[in-house]
Amino acid sequence: MSHLHIPDGVLPPLVWIAGLLLALAGVLVSAAFTRGAGPQRIAFQSALGGLMLAVMAIPVPITAFDYCMTLAGPVGILLGPASTFQVSFVVTVILALMGQGGFTVIGLNTLVLGLGAMSARPVYGVLARRMKRPHAVALSTAFSQLLSSALWIAVLAASVKLSPATAADEEVHHTLRWLQGGALVALLAPLLLVAVAVESLLALGLAHFLDRVRPDLLPGGASGASGAAVPGEAPEARS
Amino acid sequence: MINTFAQIDQYASAGHTAWHRASALSKLLFTLVTIGVAVFTPSWGPLLVFLGVAVLLALTARLPLKLVALAATAPLFFAALWLLSRWNGRLDEVAVTALRPVVASVVALWLVGTTPYPDLFAPISRLLPRVVGDSLFLTYRAVFVLLQRLERLWRALFLRGALGGSLRRRGERMGEAVGTVVLHGFERSQRLYQVMHLRGHSGRICGCRHWRDLRAEDIWVVAAFAAVVASRILLGEVGRP
Repeated sequence: MSHLHIPDGVLPPLVWIAGLLLALAGVLVSAAFTRGAGPQRIAFQSALGGLMLAVMAIPVPITAFDYCMTLAGPVGILLGPASTFQVSFVVTVILALMGQGGFTVIGLNTLVLGLGAMSARPVYGVLARRMKRPHAVALSTAFSQLLSSALWIAVLAASVKLSPATAADEEVHHTLRWLQGGALVALLAPLLLVAVAVESLLALGLAHFLDRVRPDLLPGGASGASGAAVPGEAPEARS
Repeated sequence: MINTFAQIDQYASAGHTAWHRASALSKLLFTLVTIGVAVFTPSWGPLLVFLGVAVLLALTARLPLKLVALAATAPLFFAALWLLSRWNGRLDEVAVTALRPVVASVVALWLVGTTPYPDLFAPISRLLPRVVGDSLFLTYRAVFVLLQRLERLWRALFLRGALGGSLRRRGERMGEAVGTVVLHGFERSQRLYQVMHLRGHSGRICGCRHWRDLRAEDIWVVAAFAAVVASRILLGEVGRP
């Protein structure tokens, strides 16, 4: 759901304007945190952004349906919160230029994708002390996906609430009651759970591979207990 | 999706129409204003004219009809979900909600289909912090290389039978495959860092410098802008729910 992008002109202006302002504030704050980032750090975060776009483009034949990954969780763990938010913003801008999500909702799409991805690193930090790192990556990814989905639903709910009353308002409320009555949950919950499971399994495989081949790339890796081994990285990424 | 974008990128770089020669700044401003006007237009009359203008722009830029149709239909899934949740049987409301994202999507296609990415990103990156602006350029450059690698990897896995077995095994194998691309991305970023140093990277990637050079062809962009504004003023109440 973090990958289901909202187009222009559908949501009420109050919601997307607030989203734009919040996302811009997020970009400025994250830029302040990564002010000391060297070119290599920027190149690495851009490579991971490019990878996010690439995996979003290729359907993975992993279930009966093809599934498009986001890699938001693993990218969040590898880069840390501030850089991850910037990557989410850049990915969303490029997706908007591709016609996947609108220009006016770049803010909302960034917040939905970015806040989920940002949460992965702190959750990973807690879990990695209690279990093997690949398992911590998988669980953090599941958490980030669920958070993104919750945010997506919150955006929709706020939009429905803030939309001007229509001519047949009672019918709309009836539809909403019907949706709240379980139809939406029955339809979306299984799909959401499958998506979270698939994304977590992919993250588990990715983390197993990195743990074996380049353990220093994962936070708490072999090169030191403090974090990923990307020279020139900002201090926040080593938290 | 990326194949489509690669196709659009090709049209943007290799096209020779008047729209391709117009300045990136005027096209970007026209796109933002048109989308802004469209999302605040409450009636389908002017929106239909906007759509006509957008399709005309895309076709005169020699973008294929198939691509224009794809851009027009892509945002309809979410719009349909939204309409379903607010269905009240009024077709004029359906038309307004469906037309807005379609107009925005086709205008965006025209913009990216007529403007090479250094021209397009140069003004945007100037409004963003250095790290984010640079990241915009480098991410765009990285995506095609990584996608090509990922596609080759997928094909190899398929041919070697790695996509069989239980869901868990398949998931983990796919994840390991993506892991190799992450490593490649890391190594690529180190090479890119060396290249940037060798080329005298001064702390900001600026893109090209002629994005704001106004040319004679910009008069066509102004004409399109006038058509959008005039239809909004003259047809403002046509088809208002």
